[in-house]
Amino acid sequence: MSGQGATRTILGAELLALRHRLLKRGAVRLVLLAIFIVGAAVFIGGGAFAIGATAGHFLPAVIDSVLAAGFSGLSILMLVVGFPTVIATFFVGRDLLLLTLAPVRTIEIFAARLTLAMGANLLISSILLAVVLGIGAGAGAPLTYFLLAVPLIFIQVLVITSMQTVLMSVVLKWVPARMARDVAAAVAGLTGAGLYLAWNLSLRRSFSGPSRPDLGNLTTVVQRIDWLPPAWPGHALSAIIAGRFFEAATWVLVTLILGVLLVAAAEVLYERTLQSGLGVFGSAPAIWKRRARREVRPAAGPLSSSHGGEDGHAAPAWPGGVARDRVGSPAFAIARKDWLAFRRDIRRLGRLLPALLFPIGYVFAVSRPSPGPNGFWTEVLLVGFMSMFMSTTLATPSIPSERRGFQLLRMAPLTMWQVLRAKVLLTLPPVLGLTILFSVVVAMVSGNGADRVVELGALVTWLGFGFVSISVSAGGIDPRFDALDDRRSVGLVGTLAGIAGSLGFGLLSLGAFALFVFGAETLAGSAHLGPLPSTPEIGAVMLATAIVLAAGSIAIVGLLLWLANSSLRSHETAIANT
Amino acid sequence: MTSTEPGPTAAVEARQLVKRYGVVSAVDGVSFQVARGEIFGFLGANGAGKTTTLRMLCGLVAPTSGTALIDGIDIVDQPLLAKARLGYLDEEPFVHPHLTGREFLNFVADLYRMPRGAERERRMDRLLGLFELANRDDDLIGTYSHGMKQKIGLASLLIREPPVLLLDEPTNGLDPRSGRLVKDLLEELASRGTTVLLSTHILEVAQALCRRVAIIDRGHITATGTMKELRVQAGNEQASLEELFLKLTAGPESKELIERLLA
Repeated sequence: MSGQGATRTILGAELLALRHRLLKRGAVRLVLLAIFIVGAAVFIGGGAFAIGATAGHFLPAVIDSVLAAGFSGLSILMLVVGFPTVIATFFVGRDLLLLTLAPVRTIEIFAARLTLAMGANLLISSILLAVVLGIGAGAGAPLTYFLLAVPLIFIQVLVITSMQTVLMSVVLKWVPARMARDVAAAVAGLTGAGLYLAWNLSLRRSFSGPSRPDLGNLTTVVQRIDWLPPAWPGHALSAIIAGRFFEAATWVLVTLILGVLLVAAAEVLYERTLQSGLGVFGSAPAIWKRRARREVRPAAGPLSSSHGGEDGHAAPAWPGGVARDRVGSPAFAIARKDWLAFRRDIRRLGRLLPALLFPIGYVFAVSRPSPGPNGFWTEVLLVGFMSMFMSTTLATPSIPSERRGFQLLRMAPLTMWQVLRAKVLLTLPPVLGLTILFSVVVAMVSGNGADRVVELGALVTWLGFGFVSISVSAGGIDPRFDALDDRRSVGLVGTLAGIAGSLGFGLLSLGAFALFVFGAETLAGSAHLGPLPSTPEIGAVMLATAIVLAAGSIAIVGLLLWLANSSLRSHETAIANT
Repeated sequence: MTSTEPGPTAAVEARQLVKRYGVVSAVDGVSFQVARGEIFGFLGANGAGKTTTLRMLCGLVAPTSGTALIDGIDIVDQPLLAKARLGYLDEEPFVHPHLTGREFLNFVADLYRMPRGAERERRMDRLLGLFELANRDDDLIGTYSHGMKQKIGLASLLIREPPVLLLDEPTNGLDPRSGRLVKDLLEELASRGTTVLLSTHILEVAQALCRRVAIIDRGHITATGTMKELRVQAGNEQASLEELFLKLTAGPESKELIERLLA
């Protein structure tokens, strides 16, 4: 097979697989996906272009810094976020075994894998492309600028991907490939969450008082690092805008040389890695738990006991110790199993931790603790949001994450109600613990008094039960047991049911809570209801309405649990597929 | 087709089981009975409907029509009661990769409400020893080989000693020594009253263990009975189970195929 032919064959097979995966989604989902992609491209790309054009037009003095910072920032982002993709593409996967056994040169495998690995990084870099084109448009750059921008960004992606391959070829001599991939994914997730928190912090500062844009810090920082290779393409482009074409050519040339050197180094090291069988053959699962080995008692003798009575209709007998020993609890067993599996699964942990940081980021950005009614109601909304977000993150994948293990639960003498209950009870403690803690802290900081703390505590407990039940149900209504990623483990129907249920439950609960608070204050004669008279009758009506709303919110939870139970009882798609 | 023996209340009974996926019939009117303490072979080629039938019998898949009975209990009407009496081993048994072998056995025992304590531990030690997993019991299952996963899956059934075992290719991926161990174990369990429905396409295993077999082909039972009865049906008194199987499933003559391929 010729080099070009082999690379084309490998890429062709990947494209075919992608095509099948897409077509498997069905027409409606494909249309929705297309709309989403176009929408995101217009929104994000348009925004990035507008920012670039503004900077290019109004800040000509710092264009070099902005471009250098853009390329450097992109490189750092790709370097951190792209590692899992690079590891998965180059070093993990049984298809690599097939390729290395085939009479195909390593350089051909490398070329195909490099093209595939660059896909994710190219997607990320499209944002930079929009900014760079915007800067050019804003600064009135010549045509050369635009013609050079695309290949320079492509070379940057090539350089970063090659550098990741070089690094991983070295690291994988000591670390199993899958573990490296999962750890890298966890690091990438945490970095993303960190960036997100930093963004929220900057938002908080932006909204905290009158401020003017200050690029002094940016230029200072960039000037310190602008000699580094990631900034070179930025310098090339800014030199074109300034009309210094010789300087631009020099930057482009050194960028190209660096790219060639790194790609060559990556190819050589990758070849050695494949030859030594690292990564491909040493594909140990991502498991990091170990504890001291217990002493194993000598095993001997045949299996004990017979079962049942003569008619064979007796329930399974558990001879010996039945009277003394505690009977095993299925709910506890499921909870314990989930806990053990969770803390030993690096991938799931890596996805969970950033997700948990998000609501904290939001809350930190928006929170303005202050005494008085306004501060209290802000806190109510914040804890409501936090409870919903955490419940969705933790509880929604709890049933689909059973994957093929769901067979064991279906086989066991358990009702699906019991499974749902076990999952709800497992997820409740962390959600309640964190939201109650947060409520107490916020209420204390705002100095709203003990009664407000109790009210807030009662509300988050109520919301926690409801949101967790709804989220678990959403996963049970439309589980995707074959999904490898928890984030994709619930189908469209389940996702929509979860969103609608959570919104309905949240709104009714918060409405009921508000009516309870105002109704009680009205009955006590301390309420100020604006145009409404603060009479005991009005207070009673408010309390009655609150009860109706609360009952409605319970009905929503009950309905979703019932739907989930019905769905799980009859669910056999995943079983048939396995 | 011959429908034979088992008493008024068989340990396992399939009555006109049908499973359709859209217009495709995976199983079409399958009926047979398995007596208590019997090892019954369920034979068929790949895709013949063995696994779907077993999954209907154990309640994993709902039949489109027909009835599946375990100890006379309808698995659809009274699933919890029926499931408490049976153990099912899938062709590729699911075992949690992030649990240790011992933790997994404890998990399954808890699911079936087996009492905790010394007796459970004793059984666990015996089974782990029997399957030569005693030295790996505290290792995560994700690090086990295919055969070891198969063995821990079997151990998870046997720890609770269900009266009925539905086994789908239980010797799949086992080394000869472990395969022999499983065969001996099944014979021992049957002698103590355990009913075993053994689905396999390894005819030597079926011939060695099963007194009666059913042969399924493209969703239909083509024959049920003892070897002798099958030979009568096939009209060949000297036929081996392999010959009977090929004849009853109208399988292609492999020799002829090879000759045609190499021509």
